[in-house]
Amino acid sequence: MNMPAPPRPGDERFDRAACGLLIAELDGTVREANQTLLGWLGLERHELVGRRILDFFSIGGRLFHQTHCVPLLQMQASVAEVQIDMLRKDGVRLSMLINIVRERRADDSFDAFAIFLATDRRSYERELLAARKSAEAELDARLDAEEKLLALNQQLFAADRRKDEFLATLAHELRNPLAPMRNIVTVLAQQLAADHRHTSSLKILDRQLAHLTHLVDDLMEISRVTQGVVELRRLPVDLAAIVHQVMQDLGDAVGSAGLLVTLDLPTAPVVVDADATRLSQVVANLLTNAIKYTPAGGKIWLDITTSDDEIRLSVRDTGIGIPAESLGTIFDMFSQLKPALERAQGGLGIGLALVRGLVTLHGGSIEATSAGIGQGSEFTVLLPRALPVAGIGVSDAPQVCSNAVAPPLYRILIVDDNVDAADTMVMAMEMFGYDPRPAYSGTQALRSGDAFEPHVVLLDIGLPDLNGYEVARRIRATQWGRSALLVAATGWGQAADRQLAREAGFDHHMTKPVNFDTLQALIRTSLAP
Amino acid sequence: MSVRIRNNVTVSGEGPATMLLAHGFGCSQNMWRFMAPALRQRFRIITFDLVGSGDSDASLYDRKKYGTLQGYADDVIEIIDEFSTGPVVFVGHSVSAMIGLLATIAAPQRFLAQIMVGPSPCHINDGDYVGGFSRDDIDELLDTMDSNYLGWSRGMAPAIMGAPAQPELSVDLTNSFCRNDPLIARHFAKVTFLSDYREALPKATVPALILQSSDDLIAPCSVGQYMHQTMPDSELVIIDNIGHCPHMSTPAACVAAITAFVDRLAARE
Repeated sequence: MNMPAPPRPGDERFDRAACGLLIAELDGTVREANQTLLGWLGLERHELVGRRILDFFSIGGRLFHQTHCVPLLQMQASVAEVQIDMLRKDGVRLSMLINIVRERRADDSFDAFAIFLATDRRSYERELLAARKSAEAELDARLDAEEKLLALNQQLFAADRRKDEFLATLAHELRNPLAPMRNIVTVLAQQLAADHRHTSSLKILDRQLAHLTHLVDDLMEISRVTQGVVELRRLPVDLAAIVHQVMQDLGDAVGSAGLLVTLDLPTAPVVVDADATRLSQVVANLLTNAIKYTPAGGKIWLDITTSDDEIRLSVRDTGIGIPAESLGTIFDMFSQLKPALERAQGGLGIGLALVRGLVTLHGGSIEATSAGIGQGSEFTVLLPRALPVAGIGVSDAPQVCSNAVAPPLYRILIVDDNVDAADTMVMAMEMFGYDPRPAYSGTQALRSGDAFEPHVVLLDIGLPDLNGYEVARRIRATQWGRSALLVAATGWGQAADRQLAREAGFDHHMTKPVNFDTLQALIRTSLAP
Repeated sequence: MSVRIRNNVTVSGEGPATMLLAHGFGCSQNMWRFMAPALRQRFRIITFDLVGSGDSDASLYDRKKYGTLQGYADDVIEIIDEFSTGPVVFVGHSVSAMIGLLATIAAPQRFLAQIMVGPSPCHINDGDYVGGFSRDDIDELLDTMDSNYLGWSRGMAPAIMGAPAQPELSVDLTNSFCRNDPLIARHFAKVTFLSDYREALPKATVPALILQSSDDLIAPCSVGQYMHQTMPDSELVIIDNIGHCPHMSTPAACVAAITAFVDRLAARE
């Protein structure tokens, strides 16, 4: 095959080619260039030949040539379609597209350049680049925003957890002062029983204290539910019996509010596998809520219906109702409707959150419906139905007895580092005819126990020196302590605490503030001959 | 994660000492093909691709990790831990000379010597220091890279042109030796050309040989002088070479300088 000779310097086809042609030594020194290229660059031949090709590249082009083109030429003897800006004599930049082939011959080696003007193409590409850059900037901004959002979420999550922890601590701390207050009220009630001027004031104090205790209990309970530390003690229980019990407890409240409550319960026991105490809280909170938000003369209905697999409990009222926009959030904590529409009922807005938490723990669900403001509302609880089991424990609440009969003179050691709590408890127990003595630390308890030889020790668990469990163990090791009645009193009513208390040798566990009737009943039944 | 796959590590040659060759910006371990045969006569040779370059596992290119040269230096130490029982002679071209420097500072016991081919601790002029470029120049390079990489994407070969002088190279290989992911290459360029590791130089305790080209646009002689003066245990050897890649254009001179340096070090002990 007869190939035409390639264009050579001095040759018309070389000089007048439709692209720039350039021959350079391997070190980049220009050996020859054609007229086309010289024309584009505005140079005379002597201004280019003998100089370094790099000198006619832009700085960016030089760097790119050194880092990319040179290694490629070395390795594969050619590069293709390299975009480099060249500099015209007057400094104007010309966008070029360059191909280079390295010729290696025995007698002569050189690089052959073919150079094309690519100004239009370059401006088009600049547009593309600009578009890509702005797209990238947008992407970066979005990723940045997402990252910030994530960080914010984490902060919120941490803040939420701190809030839960704070509430738990708050509830715990609020309970402590309630104990001595409860003791004082009991003492005063006993002392002033005959004086009618004080009984009504004391009743108010008693009721308010009960209300406060209830609020604090709710707060503590909701903290535990949200922190997931509630353990249910589930047994087959009769929901209808629980409703009756709650109604009995609320008797006064319903009457004084001037409301009519209608119960519609199945005649057969409604068996659910549940924690009786927690289920009572659910029913009590729903009823209290209905009472609170239903004006005098209104009506409340409590229905229980059953199906094969579900139990449905609904509490309906003719009260102030719930606006549609609040239905979605009514079970969230602190979602109390704004100042209860001028009603002076107050509340923390945690009752319904607690109800939902407890119902959920039982594997059930709750729903609120209302036709709107002034149209009443209905709360419906669905619970899974338990298989019927023989021997239903309706309630494990201790039988409450009044304290009319004077008990034998039992010695009681009351151990609490809260001096007010211990002293007022001593006052109360004295009044009930016991022989109480306070101790304000674990070591003091052990010391006075040896001399005092109490029949009963009421022992706070959270002591600063020795913890209550340790004190209990040491008491059990003494002569007198073997037969004493040991009662743990603690602000935390968790199942785990009870377990620990049993293991440490306690006979009973009570949650503060201690209920005197319960305590006395306990002493009577335990120490009766 | 396998270090071998991550960095496409290759081991060859036999020798009492191991030499680790690290390529520079814009290419891959292919760069060493001109020097490696001679070095293999004396050393056990490890070559590898920096993550994001050559046939490394580009999926592991983490912009945060490789946002500073320290990320690469950590990889180097991992490669040595896995592929060499004793300390190595490290040879780094251009940016990899600085990567090696950081690795020797982090784990000096893993290195016998560091050989720096065309190194520069800082490309940008700063007061009396002449790095060779202004910030604008570097931005222009990034711009040039952008326009050259515009149409590139992995899996799409660029337009091809024959290599008549070396017909044994398939035309398919045109431009392919250094075909790196454009976005990674751009980021790597930024990290390389905007970094300033002058403060690390005095901390170098591993004996260093600086191989300086007599005419190098990217690492001018002033930079080689500066490094030699700043690094405590260093030698400066000027190679008669034009351009930034003496290991490719004058491989024999480089091999001679390196072996002579290693011999001098051996005699020292």
